[in-house]
Amino acid sequence: MPDNSIGMGAGSGSSLPLEAAPARTAGRFKAFYRKFRKQRLAFAAACFIILLLLVAILGPFLTPYNPDTPNYDALMQGPSAHHWAGTDEYGRDIMSRLIDGTRLSLAVSLSAVFIAAVLGTILGLLSGYYGGWLDRLIMRGSDVLFSFPDLLLAIGIVAILGPGLSNVVIAVAVFGTPSFARIIRSVTLSVKETLFVEATRSMGAKDSRIIWRHIFPETVSSIIVNVSMRIGGAILAAASLSFLGMGAKTTEPDWGAMLSMGRDYLSIAPHIVYFPGLTIFLAVLAFNIFGDGLRDALDPKIKN
Amino acid sequence: MKAKRKSWLAFMLLVIVAVVAAGCGNSNNEAKNSGSASPSPSAGASASAGAGAKDGKGITIAINTNIITLDPHNASDTHSISAARTMYEGLLGFDENMNLVPVLATEYKISDDGLVYTFTLRDNVKFQDGTDFNAEAVKANIARIQDEKNNLRLRRSFAKVAKVEAPDAKTVVFTLSEPYNAFLNKVAMAGMISPKALTESGADIAKKPVGTGPFKLKDWTQGDSLVVEKNADYWQQGFPKVESVTFRSVPENGSRIAMLKTGEADFIYPLPTEQASEVEGKDGISVIKTDSTIVRYVTLNTMKKPFDDVKVRQAINYAINKEAYIKVVKSGLGVKLDSTMSSKTQYYSQQTGYDYDLEKAKQLLADAGYPNGFSAEIWGENDSETIKGMQFIQQQLALVGIKLDVKSMEGGTLSDQINAAKTPEEAKIQMWYVSWSPSSGDADGATRGLFSSEMFPPAGSNTAYYKNASVDQWIADANKATDAEKAKAIYADIQKTIWNDAPWAFMGVDQIISGSRSTLEGVKVFPDGSINVLNAQVK
Repeated sequence: MPDNSIGMGAGSGSSLPLEAAPARTAGRFKAFYRKFRKQRLAFAAACFIILLLLVAILGPFLTPYNPDTPNYDALMQGPSAHHWAGTDEYGRDIMSRLIDGTRLSLAVSLSAVFIAAVLGTILGLLSGYYGGWLDRLIMRGSDVLFSFPDLLLAIGIVAILGPGLSNVVIAVAVFGTPSFARIIRSVTLSVKETLFVEATRSMGAKDSRIIWRHIFPETVSSIIVNVSMRIGGAILAAASLSFLGMGAKTTEPDWGAMLSMGRDYLSIAPHIVYFPGLTIFLAVLAFNIFGDGLRDALDPKIKN
Repeated sequence: MKAKRKSWLAFMLLVIVAVVAAGCGNSNNEAKNSGSASPSPSAGASASAGAGAKDGKGITIAINTNIITLDPHNASDTHSISAARTMYEGLLGFDENMNLVPVLATEYKISDDGLVYTFTLRDNVKFQDGTDFNAEAVKANIARIQDEKNNLRLRRSFAKVAKVEAPDAKTVVFTLSEPYNAFLNKVAMAGMISPKALTESGADIAKKPVGTGPFKLKDWTQGDSLVVEKNADYWQQGFPKVESVTFRSVPENGSRIAMLKTGEADFIYPLPTEQASEVEGKDGISVIKTDSTIVRYVTLNTMKKPFDDVKVRQAINYAINKEAYIKVVKSGLGVKLDSTMSSKTQYYSQQTGYDYDLEKAKQLLADAGYPNGFSAEIWGENDSETIKGMQFIQQQLALVGIKLDVKSMEGGTLSDQINAAKTPEEAKIQMWYVSWSPSSGDADGATRGLFSSEMFPPAGSNTAYYKNASVDQWIADANKATDAEKAKAIYADIQKTIWNDAPWAFMGVDQIISGSRSTLEGVKVFPDGSINVLNAQVK
């Protein structure tokens, strides 16, 4: 691709000011990728996450059995060539249910974190940029939410809204919002004082333009890192709520609900809880390692 | 960051534990008599656990649902009845085969026309508040049961009592308005409350029980535990042989069995059927199996669409594979229900039909105008086995297009939901997966409360809102029958008619599976599922 190499060259040489912006982004990404690729564990985690996403999207085509069809002749069978993860108390294939449940778990956690990120970023930008009473209001509000243990807050919200996966999304989003608000506020505070923002303001740019065009782009890397760090927690929180019977219905192939229904058979058929537990563990671990890796790769202070 | 996240994960675990404990905590606060309740809920739990058999003083029994009331005249669920019977006794009682035995009465005579019952009362029996048990006390109790204002569960059992007389302190004479076949069984259901306590406590008597029984109330934390302690002045010399009995509500199968294994509980009922073979004989645990009078079924609200159509109700019966139900939900410990009552109940008559037949079920649904099925709600309690049963039914009915929404509720909430409807029109109930055992041990107890049109909630347990004029008439006729053969013939008609009308999805008959530490003797689960602790003894 000759075009590409020219573009890159131009970016690094910065001889053509007009092309500087896109080329700088490309260069940044390349540098990021180089840094990220060096962290083997984080890279492996990223591959696992991509696999999870594929499973979530292609789920219905991958399941070896219908996840909801019971087979009363094959109750609580251990792992075998036919059923890789065994069968549950109704003879349903656990592997198929885990695959089907991937979509549920990822949808819940991703949407919850996305909502939290959007709300938190808006609040953080406003709070950091305007300061004053608005800042105090938003930050004290965040403090109030921070003062509750995350899961307890989520349980409280679900108790008010009633059980169900959509309410779990709201609950997890609410306890995720203040952390975004706080991080974005701190970035905003430092970017606000920089020379280029002052220059823009002196040219008469409106507040909204300064916030969205100049400050917001500087916060993106923090948002990405925080998003990736919080997804693991969100999966865990959603599974915990389902386990407590406040999330998915017991009939849904949700990982937490599977754990919850299977715990009666812990002593006679441990595979019924072992595999959902393992899946939750791996998914949360992958997102956390991935988040760590992203942070290290995006932080300009860390050299390698 | 990493350290923080680790501690956050640990914290999350803590929170889960805290929430579970907080659940108990709430009910702790609600308890009226929390005089001996510990300041923190977890400490409370371990305190009652400490009362295990090891110290040779008290025993702990873990049961699967909450005790709802301690009022012996108003208890309708088996565990409440068991709990009330530790503190209350009737004129008569039951032995382990559901035969009647004398308790507070030493003997009784029935007149030839079946109308006059004369009981001779036991001497030297005192209520736990020190007052005498005598004929006047019996009169006061029957008056309370019969008072319409009190609206007690037992009221209809005593509706045919025209008058109660006390010619002397040791004799009570009941005169009935018409013969009543099951009267003695009903008398055995009426625990005697101290008239003094009745006047003093009024409606609160359900929380402050005062009877003649072997145990008296120590502490009742609703939703968590009931502790009863030895009644030192009990009239049967040498009983009870344990200092106290703690009933703990542990809905979760896994926890209950873990409590038995660790010795935190000395006796659990029910023992999760799927684990019966696994724990038998291990770790000093013995598994006790008893054939029962407990039937499991789903009531179908016959006054609500689409269940008002008999074809729909029959279709549901054809669509459920009962053999698979016994295998999956009951782990093979039970038999399918082939009548309205278990074969252990008086006047049982076997029915045939409703063998698993998907095609027939679909055909019946199509005939009824639901070729593609419909959606409905099924209610049940929130213990593991009930949820499993409901999920099984959901899976089975899905095959004929009936989409069920499984709603599991805590016992008290469920009971409120059902009894909130004062008329059949107000009732929201569609399907209810539940069990019934006639605690009075007779065919009337297994029929009238469930199928008589007088017994719509809240008066009784006819949650199918089943109304059939002939069945109503037969129930009345059977009660009047003084001849056993005649009663048997009438009950055969009743069972056949109800079977064909299918106000229930007929599911199964339980085998009672309980687990006991081998150091404990004498705790028995009767065929009706009630727990008897009078003979409890720690070796």
